Amino acid sequence: MSMLGQTPATEIEAPISTFEGAATRPAQSYWNESWERLRANRIGMGAGILIVILGAIAIAAPLFTQFLTHYEPYRLDLLSTFQPPGQPHLLGTDELGRDTLTRLIYGGRVSLGVAFLTVGLSLTLGTTVGLVAGYYGRWVDDILMRIVDTVLSIPAIFLFILMSILFRPNPITLAMIIASVGWGGVARLVRGEVLSVKQRDFIMATRSIGARDLRLIAIHLLPNVLPVLIVAASLGVGQIILIEAALDFLGLGIQPPTASWGNMLTNAQSYFFHSVWLVYFPGVTIFITVLASNVFGNAVRDAFDPRLK
Amino acid sequence: MPETLLEVQDLHTVFKTKAGVVKAVDGVSFEISPGETLGIVGESGSGKSVTALSVMRLQRPGKIVSGKVMFKGRDLTKVSEGEMREVRGQDIAMIFQDPMTSLNPVFRTGWQVAEPVRLHHGLEKAKAMDVAVSMLGKVGIPSPATRARDYPHQFSGGMRQRAMIAMGLTTTPKVLIADEPTTALDVTIQAQILDLLRHVNRDFGTATILITHNLGVVAGMCERVMVMYAGRVVEAGPTVDVFAHPKHPYTWSLLRSIPRLDAERHEPLKPIEGLPPDLIDLPTGCAFHPRCKFTIERCSRDVPVLNRVGDTQLAACWVTQSGVELKGA
Amino acid sequence: MLVKYLVRRLFASVVVVLGVTAITLVLMDRTRGTYVPGIDLNPNLRPDDIERLRANLGLDRPFYVWYITWLWNVLHGDFGRSMIDGSPVMSHILDRLPNTLELTATAILMGVLLSIPLGVIGALRRGSKVDHGLTVVSVAGFAVPQFWLGLLLILFFSVTFEQHGWPWLPSSGATSPLGGGDILDRLQHLIMPATVLSFFYLSLWSRFTRSSMLEVLSQDYIRTARAKGMGERRVVYLHGLRNALIPLITLVGLELPGLVSGGLVVEVVFGWPGIGRLLFERALQYDYSTVMGVTFFATLLVIAGNLLADVLYAVLDPRIRYA
Repeated sequence: MSMLGQTPATEIEAPISTFEGAATRPAQSYWNESWERLRANRIGMGAGILIVILGAIAIAAPLFTQFLTHYEPYRLDLLSTFQPPGQPHLLGTDELGRDTLTRLIYGGRVSLGVAFLTVGLSLTLGTTVGLVAGYYGRWVDDILMRIVDTVLSIPAIFLFILMSILFRPNPITLAMIIASVGWGGVARLVRGEVLSVKQRDFIMATRSIGARDLRLIAIHLLPNVLPVLIVAASLGVGQIILIEAALDFLGLGIQPPTASWGNMLTNAQSYFFHSVWLVYFPGVTIFITVLASNVFGNAVRDAFDPRLK
Repeated sequence: MPETLLEVQDLHTVFKTKAGVVKAVDGVSFEISPGETLGIVGESGSGKSVTALSVMRLQRPGKIVSGKVMFKGRDLTKVSEGEMREVRGQDIAMIFQDPMTSLNPVFRTGWQVAEPVRLHHGLEKAKAMDVAVSMLGKVGIPSPATRARDYPHQFSGGMRQRAMIAMGLTTTPKVLIADEPTTALDVTIQAQILDLLRHVNRDFGTATILITHNLGVVAGMCERVMVMYAGRVVEAGPTVDVFAHPKHPYTWSLLRSIPRLDAERHEPLKPIEGLPPDLIDLPTGCAFHPRCKFTIERCSRDVPVLNRVGDTQLAACWVTQSGVELKGA
Repeated sequence: MLVKYLVRRLFASVVVVLGVTAITLVLMDRTRGTYVPGIDLNPNLRPDDIERLRANLGLDRPFYVWYITWLWNVLHGDFGRSMIDGSPVMSHILDRLPNTLELTATAILMGVLLSIPLGVIGALRRGSKVDHGLTVVSVAGFAVPQFWLGLLLILFFSVTFEQHGWPWLPSSGATSPLGGGDILDRLQHLIMPATVLSFFYLSLWSRFTRSSMLEVLSQDYIRTARAKGMGERRVVYLHGLRNALIPLITLVGLELPGLVSGGLVVEVVFGWPGIGRLLFERALQYDYSTVMGVTFFATLLVIAGNLLADVLYAVLDPRIRYA
């Protein structure tokens, strides 16, 4: 801004010219730029596509099993127990003659469904708490963060087990159980972001024109907090799938006959001697899904994390 | 003519980047004699820091592609890494711009100051620490023995820079290169540090190369000055002369653009128009010609050569080399 | 300075502990109303027997009385009694705790000792095949389900090896039931579960060390060190690594509180007689009070562990101490 009609002085120190030269690029919004970076990452996009495919298979499970395997997940066939992979059971059968591939497909529904629901719940609750704590500060912040500290102090897996025996979970309650710890981390993260955004001048400016609290939080703070959320969510899905699988494996999560990748391995030790494929397939499925989720999550983080710019 | 201590001949250092090859140092030559003070002036990107780093062979990831750095009869660009390490910190010392980030936060300051003397002169811990403490005292740090046990973050900015200077001097090097030693400091502290550097130069006889973008700093401290632009030397000579009658349009514009207290109140300031050049894609001929008020036809064709203009100065400008005096509003 | 900082942290911890007791007991309250102790052992209990048993365990008293009694007991080291056989929870915990610590401490140690060289190699040879290989292994390490990895190891090193007549590793327990107990025997039992447990740490920490090293090596003080004429090895390992390790120690410190609970899955798969397995066994039997007591105990350790980690951090990084 020029004052009193004078032209501003150019400092002797000229604007930084980097070694890349003073090249100019068209300015882009944060979202566009991030999307482009994500799309440029081919491995990441490949992983993302894999997740979408897995998700699609999970959602359309009945369709798949109808045309692919011709079996239902609960259908027992005590005459064909422990069939090795081949025809007609592409991936073999288990101790009750149930088709492995079918159960894997239906198991995907459970595992992926619980994982996404958990992420959704964690993010919702965690973000709300984080926003309120960060924005209002002082005693509100103190109390909320003490609660978060308390929840996060209890060893998660112990708490999950305790809650499992108290509440006998189905997929929905299982998601609630896992989210009951997950929200804490999200809350801390969001609160941190809010605190740093709060310092920035535009918050002061918006306040000074009389904006109400809710408006400020929803319209101004939330979008700035979103990037961190996106990153956290994409990295968290894989871990949640693993936790859920572990709980199922222990027999404390989703109970048979509902198929889940974890509970297909509960009796794994008894499969060692004659039906080893029953040990490999569910594990490999979990591994590939979590791997794809992690790789995609990393790609999302690389593309969207404002701190890496 | 005093014997030359350090002589840089036609140095070229480049950086390979995705966008192209950056000619950070594009044919720089200068020399310095024992006890002299030389200022290297230029804006960010002019290549002054890279020149100094190249002398120390610390220019990685850049590469020195041609030229010589003659020191004690050897070409430092050609010696082995082991031999170079002996020169660094012992014969030629370098201190950097930001003392907060340039000192290791997890080691005590005295320990760091004593390190060069421990390594190069093989002194044992206690003796080395004595040397360090004594030097800390000489650079003006009060209670040096106690403060030597402090960590860098416990020092104020000015004190930290003094400690850095002490660190450079414990081995009594022949040359001290100071890369923007005052840029990160408050103005009042700046004066103190410059004062210290002057004393060091006088009392220890250390040749000092002072790199800065601030003409005022040069004026207060350096006998000779060298002006760099776009990786090349555009003017060199005794500071007094260069400031009184600059022989290169860039220097001339720089001096003109400094706001003056004795100027008329409503007089507009005189910035240098245009932007610094892209080091990957330099203009043909003289790198400054797109922004130059005195440019003639030849300037856009031929790269000017550094030549004598006037009694004591060197300038790389076709215009002044042909006798034109730089004047103007 | 250090003392003030610690007092503040201690106070916060106490608040958190009280919060945990509240959550814990609210959850437990759900079971108090209807639970009948010993119903599994004897389904034919008469109503007044049931009342008597419940009174014994204090299940019929109002919540606040129960809460106070419980807190009082805890302060005296009584973490409750099993609902199955009435045995004190604390004695079970003390029995099993050393085993768990043996397992998790070994895993963490293995993790640290292997991560540092791997991370440094990755940083120094950035972009090379070795580096890429390590990154791939790291990423894969995050995706492997712990229990599955354990199962696979047992499958190979116990079952398959034995089938082929090669020396095989025991698949369960901490010691052999017959004539075991010596160091070699314990090591044989320890190695597989510890490896599985350390795998995750290894993936995480080696990558972290690598990025920490890279960041440190780009710092100004590294340039200063080189300018002082130091050999590259000294620059990297003395000036560089020392700084790069600080954040790693923080990270490792974050795992210390989870020392007791982190190994649960591994303990179950390998039949390791630790706290995690205790919780699991009792959970299957719906022995709520034991599960509660163990959970609370583990939580106390987490809180204490967090405090300890903060202390360590303050000691190691002088900037915190004097801030």
